[in-house]
Amino acid sequence: MSSVITGRGLGLLVCLRCQCAVRALQVKHPRCPRCYAHLHMRKPHSLAVTAVLLIFAAILYIPANLLPVMYTRTLIDQESDTIMSGVLVLFEGGSWPIAVLVFVASIVVPLLKILALAIVLYSAWRPSARYRRQRSELFRLVEFIGRWSMLDIYAISLLVTLVQVQSFATIAVGWGAGAFGAVVVLTIAAAHTFDERLLWDE
Amino acid sequence: MPMVLVCPACDVVHRADDEIAHTASTGRLRCARCEAVLHRPRRTRVDTAVALALSALVLFFLGNTYPLVEFQINGARRETNLPGAALGLYHAGHPALALLVLLTTVAAPLAQILALLYLLIPLLVKRRARRQSTVFRLLMQIRPWTFIEVFMLGALVAMVRLSAYAKVVPGVALVCCGLLMMCMAALTSLTPAAQFWYWVARSRR
Repeated sequence: MSSVITGRGLGLLVCLRCQCAVRALQVKHPRCPRCYAHLHMRKPHSLAVTAVLLIFAAILYIPANLLPVMYTRTLIDQESDTIMSGVLVLFEGGSWPIAVLVFVASIVVPLLKILALAIVLYSAWRPSARYRRQRSELFRLVEFIGRWSMLDIYAISLLVTLVQVQSFATIAVGWGAGAFGAVVVLTIAAAHTFDERLLWDE
Repeated sequence: MPMVLVCPACDVVHRADDEIAHTASTGRLRCARCEAVLHRPRRTRVDTAVALALSALVLFFLGNTYPLVEFQINGARRETNLPGAALGLYHAGHPALALLVLLTTVAAPLAQILALLYLLIPLLVKRRARRQSTVFRLLMQIRPWTFIEVFMLGALVAMVRLSAYAKVVPGVALVCCGLLMMCMAALTSLTPAAQFWYWVARSRR
């Protein structure tokens, strides 16, 4: 056994909503005395639920990057944009800081999130005492950056609403955007269902 | 039993009483093992939070009614506001995405502001809101789904992309959304769960 005293060792339940610690009683469904949230020693079925969400996210990441997110029709021609070609358009348009921003938020961040969650999930499944704090920090990073991948969805929503000049130019949304939105939601949900404490359990 | 703080991230038990007293003046208290933030000093007053929430409410209405950006091309003009952006996605045949945008930029911030006001105003007059714990749990559940700051950056990206083809004029609501973003960030950091329950405990006296 290790030298640290854990909540589990003392039989303490922690309310993750309001952070109050409660002595575990022999009740079937314990609830927080302060905010009445359900209490669990660890989030129920954390690994399985997170794994399922993560697998779906990883599968959808492929169409999200290959399918077009946007179709632009003008009088002269029609073109389709994937996320990557959108970045290239911005880059050629001379606004490279914005291009880098979109590249990081929509391509690097989702991929990093999927990889990081997979690493964290694996190390919770096969716990080892090495690099625990780093893994914990990795997970917190995932939680923190998760929301920023929504960037492209918001940009598309504005573009599609604004560019509807009848018969001159219209923008339509492709299924890549749908898949991309699903990836963002699934990875955020996966980070929510993952119980960090599993990384530290002996 | 002494007062304890259990780390929500790694389950280590900390003795709370002296550590909190010690860090109350210096800054946030971090877990000794995993360095997660355990406790922030409780300095804010309920009034501050209520005032911030009220100004957030005003900014929210301004930001949702006035145009966000205007787009001018060959004499044609189009403008949109925040809910309009979600509606645009709906008309483009993507109702699920429209719902996602609406929830994260309109519904979640509004619900968060209203829930906070509902919980905090009674505390000002030493009362407690009805169904306080339910509303509180709801608030905590909504909080991570408010993405206004991301939306602001998304608007910037959209404007840069459009400015290559046409004239793009930022609207009043863009400024309001920027201010709303700051208000929400301040509110979230001023009213963590521990702070709220501390106010509740104090108003009981």
